[in-house]
Amino acid sequence: MSARPRRPPRRRASGRAISIWVIALLVAAVATIQIRSEAEVERSLVGIDTTSLAFLIDDLHRANDALLAEQADLKQRQATLQSGNGAAADQVLTDEAHRLRAVEGLVAVHGPGVVIVIDAAGLKALDLQDALNNLSAGGAEAIAVNDRRVVVGVPIEQAGGGVAIGGVVVLPPWTITTIGDATRIAEVANLMTQELRADRRVRQASYRVEADIAIQAVISEKPFVYAISS
Amino acid sequence: MTRRQVLSTVAVAAVALATGFVVAGQVKAQLLTPSNQVARYQALVRSVQDLESANASSRNEISALRAQIDGLETEAAGRSAATQALEDQVSNLRAHAGLTALHGPGVEVRLANGAPGPDTSGQARYLVNFQDVQDVVNLLFAQGAEAIAVNGRRITPLTAFSGSAGQVVIDQGPPLSSPIKVSAIGDRNRMVSALDDPSALPDIRARQVQFQLHLTFLGIADLTLPAYDSSLRIPHVSPT
Repeated sequence: MSARPRRPPRRRASGRAISIWVIALLVAAVATIQIRSEAEVERSLVGIDTTSLAFLIDDLHRANDALLAEQADLKQRQATLQSGNGAAADQVLTDEAHRLRAVEGLVAVHGPGVVIVIDAAGLKALDLQDALNNLSAGGAEAIAVNDRRVVVGVPIEQAGGGVAIGGVVVLPPWTITTIGDATRIAEVANLMTQELRADRRVRQASYRVEADIAIQAVISEKPFVYAISS
Repeated sequence: MTRRQVLSTVAVAAVALATGFVVAGQVKAQLLTPSNQVARYQALVRSVQDLESANASSRNEISALRAQIDGLETEAAGRSAATQALEDQVSNLRAHAGLTALHGPGVEVRLANGAPGPDTSGQARYLVNFQDVQDVVNLLFAQGAEAIAVNGRRITPLTAFSGSAGQVVIDQGPPLSSPIKVSAIGDRNRMVSALDDPSALPDIRARQVQFQLHLTFLGIADLTLPAYDSSLRIPHVSPT
């Protein structure tokens, strides 16, 4: 009599199959998570890194604070105008005219700020444009270079005799007078002068913070030739 | 259990143990770290998105308030000649400060990212950066542009450019990225001929060759620029 072939019990076989499937699933899940994590990191980090994002968040916080302050000013102006008082309307318009003249560099101004002195040979118009832009981004609200008022729109160009501001050559040393948030501007000025001192073309770069600086230089308003109010 | 069975069991256990350590190391080093990186990155991105949304809402509110104030001023000017004269002055000043929508002939300059390529500078020079935009804006002002906007953001006398890694931040606006459109009202022939000058915008032109950075421009018979929608506060400055 031949013996019946030994067969594993059905339950044991199916248990093993389930175990294999569970292990396979776990391996597949881990592999998928791993691949997706790496892909996501790669995709999300394209173009901008976390440090830049952190700076961006800082900038946006500061920007949003400035926007909220502007909103508060505008609401106050609106409330004054809504009072219907003619004298109040005149005062609102007069204040606005004074503020805009200062913004556009049409009047002499004063306030706290920082004076930066740069003595160098061979600095170009681009160097001055970058320096002034950095100071504006760092909180400067009014700027003059060697008693020439500068706002965005005043051309700073490379001329035969050096760097020209509004068509007039401004020879070194450059004294950059800024009015604004002196603490923030001083931080920018500190970094800027450190970098400049490392530049072979620069003989001297220094700054000082002042409680009250006056900028007497003004710009003449140019009437529009091409632009029309919409 | 035979000696052979014991040996093979020990061998399987050792391999399993080694595999376990390797897998654990891998999980710790590569699976968890990227996951944390992603979570941290996503949290930062969410913060940026929330702040940008608040930023857009504030700028809309500012535009609406300015429009309402304009209306109230016009109403007040209708009641008095002196107020009317003041309002005319302020309107002119606002137009020059970028607070009024303008239209007229001009140029549109388009800047777009190039292609990554070999670069020893350590910077992503194939991307349009804020200095490029600043250079184009300065060039156009030097050629007599009367008003400029960048991707619809109006440039004012106090405008500052900043940003990093292909991001261009103008004043209190959200970051802009490629493609960038600089629109300027003014003498379009003069502006086009300055842009055509091969010696103008040297850094951009060098990167046009090296990274295929895009720079194109076009004269336009009539283009419209929106009004500035952000803050022009100068809290530290007083007229003398």
